[in-house]
Amino acid sequence: MTILRRISTRLLLGVFVLWGAATLTFLALYITPGDTALIILGGADARPSAEALAQVRADYLLDQPFLVQYLHYFTHLLQGDLGESYRLRMPVTDAIGQQVGPTAVLAGTAAVLALVLTVAIAVLTAQRTPWLRSIISGIEVVLAATPSFIIGFGLLIVFSFTLRLVPAGGGDGLVPLILPAFTLALSLVGSLSQVLRNELEDVLEQPFILTARARGMRDTPVRIIHALRHAVLPTITMSGFVVATLLGGSVIVETLFSRQGVGGLMLSSVYNKDLPVVMGIVLISAAVYVVVNLVVDILYTLVDPRVVTS
Amino acid sequence: MTSRRARSALVSGLALIMGTTLLLTGCASGSGAGDTSTTGEPVEGGTLALSISAEPGCLDAHSISATQHQLLGRIIYDNLVTLDADGNIAPYLAESWEISDDGKTYTFHLQEGVTFSDGSPWNAEVLGQNLEHMRDPATKSPLAAAYIAPYVDGTVVDEYTFEAHLAYAYTPFLYGLAQSWLAMTSGTAITESPETLCQNPIGSGPFVVEDYQVGQSISYVKREGYNWGPEWLDYDGEAHLDGIEITVVPEAVIRYETLVSGQYDITENLPPQNAEAIQANDQFVYENLVRAGSPNVLHFNLSRAPFDDIRVREAFVAAVDREAVTDSVGFNTFNVKDNYLSSETPYYDESTEGVLTYDPDRANDLLDEAGWATRDSDGYRTKDGKRLTVVVPTVESATPSALLVQLQGEVKKVGIELQVNQYPLAQLTEIRYAGDYDGIAGVWHTNTPDALFIRYNSSEITGERIGQNAAYLSDPELDELLTATRQAPDGDEAREAYSLVQHRLLELVPGLPLYENHSQWAYSKSALKGITTDTSHPVPVFTTAWLEQ
Repeated sequence: MTILRRISTRLLLGVFVLWGAATLTFLALYITPGDTALIILGGADARPSAEALAQVRADYLLDQPFLVQYLHYFTHLLQGDLGESYRLRMPVTDAIGQQVGPTAVLAGTAAVLALVLTVAIAVLTAQRTPWLRSIISGIEVVLAATPSFIIGFGLLIVFSFTLRLVPAGGGDGLVPLILPAFTLALSLVGSLSQVLRNELEDVLEQPFILTARARGMRDTPVRIIHALRHAVLPTITMSGFVVATLLGGSVIVETLFSRQGVGGLMLSSVYNKDLPVVMGIVLISAAVYVVVNLVVDILYTLVDPRVVTS
Repeated sequence: MTSRRARSALVSGLALIMGTTLLLTGCASGSGAGDTSTTGEPVEGGTLALSISAEPGCLDAHSISATQHQLLGRIIYDNLVTLDADGNIAPYLAESWEISDDGKTYTFHLQEGVTFSDGSPWNAEVLGQNLEHMRDPATKSPLAAAYIAPYVDGTVVDEYTFEAHLAYAYTPFLYGLAQSWLAMTSGTAITESPETLCQNPIGSGPFVVEDYQVGQSISYVKREGYNWGPEWLDYDGEAHLDGIEITVVPEAVIRYETLVSGQYDITENLPPQNAEAIQANDQFVYENLVRAGSPNVLHFNLSRAPFDDIRVREAFVAAVDREAVTDSVGFNTFNVKDNYLSSETPYYDESTEGVLTYDPDRANDLLDEAGWATRDSDGYRTKDGKRLTVVVPTVESATPSALLVQLQGEVKKVGIELQVNQYPLAQLTEIRYAGDYDGIAGVWHTNTPDALFIRYNSSEITGERIGQNAAYLSDPELDELLTATRQAPDGDEAREAYSLVQHRLLELVPGLPLYENHSQWAYSKSALKGITTDTSHPVPVFTTAWLEQ
């Protein structure tokens, strides 16, 4: 029962988070300077007629006060209507639907890559010779501190432009996915593996590890079977950070590697003050956040049942 | 918020990498319009891989003003008329036409047997539907509607004869109708499903959109049975290519690298810093063509101080070593300008060259004369204790516009402070139309010398409606000359009228001319043959293109 109550409380909170994120975004776009109607009609180099300007303002309620626009948007949202893109002139659900697949594939691949690399690095380097640890953790700090567009460009220069092993961009298949997925994964690994190794090193000091070793278990099984399970909890806690990096990073990585995706759509929509699309993406991102945090909550109880009782 | 952080990181990051490459550039090779590089017998088949820097988000010609549509429009659409290799109006979907003596009635005789890709026919009624669609406020046209503003109504005389009535004589009418933004769309689609035209445009052109992934790619297949291309193509028949696959590659550096590595056959908007490398590479053809219309000019705001004073305007122009600035900004690939009309525009008057010269001494004298004779502690000129400051807004990026930074240094030498303010695009657009600036840089491409009317007639000052007279130039004498240009029929009369305008502008000095508006692209010499260009827009046309296999 407790776990059900926990989930329902979380879901309620999640709805609140969604509403908050949507409202803040709406407000932010509203107060951002710049006339949306002028942007829709081609920006600084166009010659729209007065009639077209009037039509745009009327169609999108741009001449109405904030509250009217806000209520109109949320009334439609409650009916499941995300509206129509100003720029693409297609329903927001279609616009996002077209882009969500590629981003999910990229983010998923990057997450798996990051996880594998993190566990491998942490397990292999915890409590090793100081010089090896220093080198590895030096690399981690550099990776964590380097913006993903620099990592991406570095990978491009080496593997695409110089060695010509992989294409620099494009959409279909697995090969063009390699560099962007690594770019995203590497920006995660730097932070994650530090956390996991520190925790792992703490755990390896624990008496039960000594017991396991005393029973004659070899080092690697001790690390993987006994220590890792205990050390992984703080890493799971960082899932929020992981999701944020994956979603935020996709904006950069998709642009750099000319990939289709939600990130690129978000960028062009913000530039063009395409409010319905921006709102749609924020709502979906917030929903992903809520769901991930919920799943993490449940995962806690599976990894360490004591969490529920405490 | 994550999205915000990510956005600012991206903006600064990408801008840092790209540096100045967003500026349009080119180099001094170039082939004439209608020029074909065909060698050998065309090979049928194959899919062309083309990378472009951006896509409009909508493919309906009438609903957009994006630069990329110059190229995209030629792939799927035909126009009523075209400009031939010499830049003269020539038949296309209209076989012939008559213009009434008062210049207000155009009678078009249309080609028969043309169909759109949805199977619907091309006829006089469809022409009328297209003109209505362009100006329908629901189309939200940012450009096409303005070109046909004098159009009042039309009469379908018979199936293939259409009479267009204009409110006043307007010679640029046909030029406008030759541009990509005024291409002809299926009448059935316009009446039955106008809301789908952005994502699913229906033209009568040599290719058909097969798949459109917004922001990412556009796939085209050739239109079976197409044989109504313009005469200047010197080819009658369907495209040689089976299809075209366009990929959006926003990063300039990556467009260059992926062209060189063979991932794409051709790229639009090649980065200027790579011009030299691509020219030196004999595997590629580098095209650097000049767009007609208004070149790159830093327009002065004449409606307020300090540029309401002609002496300050002349001084600003004389203070800048345009050649040095142009070479530096364009990596030696731009053509420097000293007047207000692109040299590729019909009725361009060469005798206006060499009048506005670089002369810092004269600039200093003029500023002294204008009363800006004292200097403050920073070395800037002052008048009545006020510093001679010029505010120029530009679009936001991590690295400031290379052009404006150069100009800053140039005019500082004569004591003018150039202040560059960066804004997000939406805010810049608002500032632009509010006229809240002293100067603003930009180009304005069109295929007609009516660019001069669009840029400098007082009726084009933003007020009731949006206009492109960024200089807020309001000169009754010039207005009269400009009105005469629109009424003058093509030929010597128009040439004379446009010449007077171009000379008058040298007296008014509405801005600092900088360099031509370049269109540059490159393609693989071994892979791609038979590319042609158009005189309305100097962009590649693929109807006769073929791939060596």
